[in-house]
Amino acid sequence: MNEGVSASITAAPRDEGHVRDVTEDHGASAVEEPSADDFRHARTLPVDDEWYKRAVFYEVLVRAFADSNRDGFGDLSGLTDKLDYLAWLGVDCVWLPPFYDSPLRDGGYDIRDYRKVLPEFGTVADFVELLDQAHARGIRVITDLVMNHTSDQHHWFQESRRDPEGPYGDFYVWSDDDTRYSDARIIFVDTESSNWTYDSVRGQFYWHRFFSHQPDLNFDNPAVCEAMIDALRFWLDLGIDGFRLDAVPYLYERDGTNGENLPETHAFLKRCRKVVDDEYPGRVLLAEANQWPADVVEYFGDAEVGGDECHMAFHFPLMPRIFMAVRRESRFPISEILAQTPEIPHNAQWGIFLRNHDELTLEMVTDDERDYMYAEYAKDPRMKANIGIRRRLAPLLENDRNQLELFTALLLSLPGSPVLYYGDEIGMGDNIWLGDRDGVRSPMQWTPDRNAGFSTCDPGRLNLPIIMDPVYGYQAVNVEAQSNSTASLLHWNRRMIDIRKQHPAFGLGNFHELGGSNPSVLAYVREHVDAGGHRDLVLCVNNMSRFPQPVELDLIAWRDCVPTELTGGVPFPAIGELPYLLTLPGHGFYWFAIHEAEER
Amino acid sequence: MPATSSPDDPLAGLHDALLAWLPSQRWFPAKGREIAGLRTVGHAVVSAPGESPTVEHAVIGVSFADASGGSAEERYQLVLGVQASPPADVEYAVIGRRDGDVVYDGLADGRISRLFLSLITENATRGPLRFVAEPDTEAPIVGPGRPLIGEQSNSSVIYGERAIMKLFRRATAGLNPDLELHRALRRQGSREVAPLLGAIEGELDGEPMTVAMLQGYASNSADGWSMAAASVRDLLAEADLRADEVGGDFAGEAHRIGKTVAAVHLELAAALGTQPLDARGASEIEAWMLERLDRAAAAVPGVAEQRDAIADVLRGVTAAEPSTLQRIHGDLHLGQELRTPTGWLVIDFEGEPSKPLADRVRPDSPMRDVAAMLRSFDYAAFHQLSEWEQSADDPDPQLERRAQEWADRNRSAFCDGYAEVSGTDPRDVPELLRAYELDKAVYEVLYETRNRPGWVSIPLRSMRRLLTPAGRGER
Repeated sequence: MNEGVSASITAAPRDEGHVRDVTEDHGASAVEEPSADDFRHARTLPVDDEWYKRAVFYEVLVRAFADSNRDGFGDLSGLTDKLDYLAWLGVDCVWLPPFYDSPLRDGGYDIRDYRKVLPEFGTVADFVELLDQAHARGIRVITDLVMNHTSDQHHWFQESRRDPEGPYGDFYVWSDDDTRYSDARIIFVDTESSNWTYDSVRGQFYWHRFFSHQPDLNFDNPAVCEAMIDALRFWLDLGIDGFRLDAVPYLYERDGTNGENLPETHAFLKRCRKVVDDEYPGRVLLAEANQWPADVVEYFGDAEVGGDECHMAFHFPLMPRIFMAVRRESRFPISEILAQTPEIPHNAQWGIFLRNHDELTLEMVTDDERDYMYAEYAKDPRMKANIGIRRRLAPLLENDRNQLELFTALLLSLPGSPVLYYGDEIGMGDNIWLGDRDGVRSPMQWTPDRNAGFSTCDPGRLNLPIIMDPVYGYQAVNVEAQSNSTASLLHWNRRMIDIRKQHPAFGLGNFHELGGSNPSVLAYVREHVDAGGHRDLVLCVNNMSRFPQPVELDLIAWRDCVPTELTGGVPFPAIGELPYLLTLPGHGFYWFAIHEAEER
Repeated sequence: MPATSSPDDPLAGLHDALLAWLPSQRWFPAKGREIAGLRTVGHAVVSAPGESPTVEHAVIGVSFADASGGSAEERYQLVLGVQASPPADVEYAVIGRRDGDVVYDGLADGRISRLFLSLITENATRGPLRFVAEPDTEAPIVGPGRPLIGEQSNSSVIYGERAIMKLFRRATAGLNPDLELHRALRRQGSREVAPLLGAIEGELDGEPMTVAMLQGYASNSADGWSMAAASVRDLLAEADLRADEVGGDFAGEAHRIGKTVAAVHLELAAALGTQPLDARGASEIEAWMLERLDRAAAAVPGVAEQRDAIADVLRGVTAAEPSTLQRIHGDLHLGQELRTPTGWLVIDFEGEPSKPLADRVRPDSPMRDVAAMLRSFDYAAFHQLSEWEQSADDPDPQLERRAQEWADRNRSAFCDGYAEVSGTDPRDVPELLRAYELDKAVYEVLYETRNRPGWVSIPLRSMRRLLTPAGRGER
């Protein structure tokens, strides 16, 4: 067990009074919810108010990571077995997309029971074991919580459609016709033609911002708010380190609005935050709001008090701009979006990513830019999904090692906490012939053995096929082979994560773009001064062009200081009176620590 | 190199040092020409008594040995710091010694740039110099500036990435159009130029003179020329891709530049008025163009051979549809446009530096600026060919065709953007546009023949294209 990790495995006696009695007049429709006290709790990590600002996040699809019981499905116990690998890589926090009980018509984002684990993944006890073992290694775990909607198989919905007058009758947004809230856009344009669907059981239409099998909860009903906060408490009591709140902009609907970012939604998030701050300090809320940064900052809450809604939010538009900047060989797509990104409260942090389990989303680019991105990165129409591109990082970059390194260096050094996507650290490929977004959700490639070491089941039982093409196939691309070669992409990623951790400026520092004479070169400094007055200053210089480039940087503010390259520790010439000249290879980058002259 | 000086000249004793110092300054254009004489035209102490260092403003006149007629004196502005032992970091800017003091280029001294900035915010007057803050500007935080390195014809200092002060090195009597037009554009609330914050004005030959100009600083910007060059490089490296297929496509930026230039034209027209281009005005413009043509024809045989055909096209100015004249930029090219993270800015409204002031402020057709931009896209497309071709004597037709494709695509995107904002598509006045473009190309042929013979093929090629009927228009 790690030092500083307190063992608090408690088997609290079951407290019968904790189960809310909602039976009253409608006994038949009442449902008993399990309580956290029914389970053992995981040991907790010491409270640290800033861990999420420094952390390297790693998104794991449980289904695709490791299968411990040979059923062809990855599961929680399988993931627990791989925690040593994640600790070796340098991961600080594992983000799990939803593992709740679900009919799996939307990758688990259609929750059937907030307090039950999908049987294929295991049990709540398996989850507590994962949490406990992760904490033993200093790794935190957060998971998705979908607050906006449930599966249509959730008992709340079944009761709501069956008994409009019952305790759940008002849990969803029902209407006699399909005309209200017509200003709200349709998100899944490939599959849905309206945000209303008729339910023949209840004889009314129900509202859904996503798939028609995902009815939206009615947050105007106080009982829904209570039920949701109790679901949060359930997992927080077990020891979870936080939640990524899925689809938060859409909680409320109001006529005459687009139904996004409404004040009521923010008020509810403030309530959730207060529960976390009062009862579970050190745990975090991360907003998934695929909006422009100027709107997303609202989800951090009041800047005066350092932020009182979500601790973190994803910065969605940055990611496609990184791709565009490299393709255009110009820093401006990135400079532009960062210049448009407002200041955030001092307790807040962006989450940034290159790829995740969703498509490369293009909602936050203009139409022209979207056409351009399609043309450049989705030459085959099957690669397009909804408004995005479903590829993994390596195939998007045509497996070019230089670009893979440049993109990762940007991810690890731009402002925000980086979120890696499982498999991208070894350069895994995708399978564009699988439906929906499954192409980027194939099993993790551990070894060159059967089923890539993901499972020992009969290959025919695999939930999704292993990637087998000659370039990205598991025999060529796997953790075991790359662990054995220090020149591998895996080792390179591990080294870069390690360097990032040595410099608090990457996570905590402010960001200042330097400009410079060459429009193909993106240069910036990250600077952090800690409470003890120690200054950490990192200079990052990135060549967006495939050709070698010179750049002259104005570093006069650090005259006489010596830049030290971070991967090798080589001191570069001291900064003088003249612009600082650097030359970079095609798609090359440098990270320098800038030391005060007297530190030499 | 005799230095002429009288005993009451405050720069007496410095002239020899100045003669040695001037040719090594980037802004001094007459490198290599023998200086026949140097005199002090104007001089004033700017610092208050007791302030250290002493700050002096001077205008010097330099005459050259090769000048015929003797009137070809060129005048330059200096800001001098004077101190017995100045700080070590201005050592590189030392000009010489006078009466036991060290005299150095004052712009190198943060204390002097700070003084200038605070005098501007105070609207102070020091001797003949008037320091003027633009009305209703947010005063920049006063602090030391640092010299901008790598500039060509003027000298600037930057204040903490917030403001930039440009000292016009060439001293000319009259209001500098750069200041005049920035003032007018600020009144229009233009977002296409860096906002004017203030100025320093003086006197020369009994007329007002613009000493310096203070503007908002566009930090993190890059100029259009280097961005276009990156795009062309990307295209020429892909043997099998078309201009609209390569990643580095510039057409989106060209379109935005077109919109920016059109907006500036509208703002200039709104601020300073327009006048119709009548027959008399058109024939005047035609006369200047023909005069410039004949100067080029006299020097370049390639132009002389085509003289009459060129003149026919230039006469298109008079044949053109009724159009209007207004104040324009006058020296527009990709290098005069800055890409900032939020959009494009147009800079440097001084006009074509070789022309006298009276010509630079004369109203002209906005199509002159448009044509200049079209020429600039041509330059950007073709200037790299020499790097890619095996030899200059063996042009690669495939590369040339691809460069032409880049030029056509971006010229047309520029015109689209221009039309979108101005409501006037430049391609709807093909005769006028062609005349201005050819006029510019002829000037370029002359300029390149004299200064960069390796580049002369670029405007010559365009000149031939503009003389072929198929080269008309952009569509």
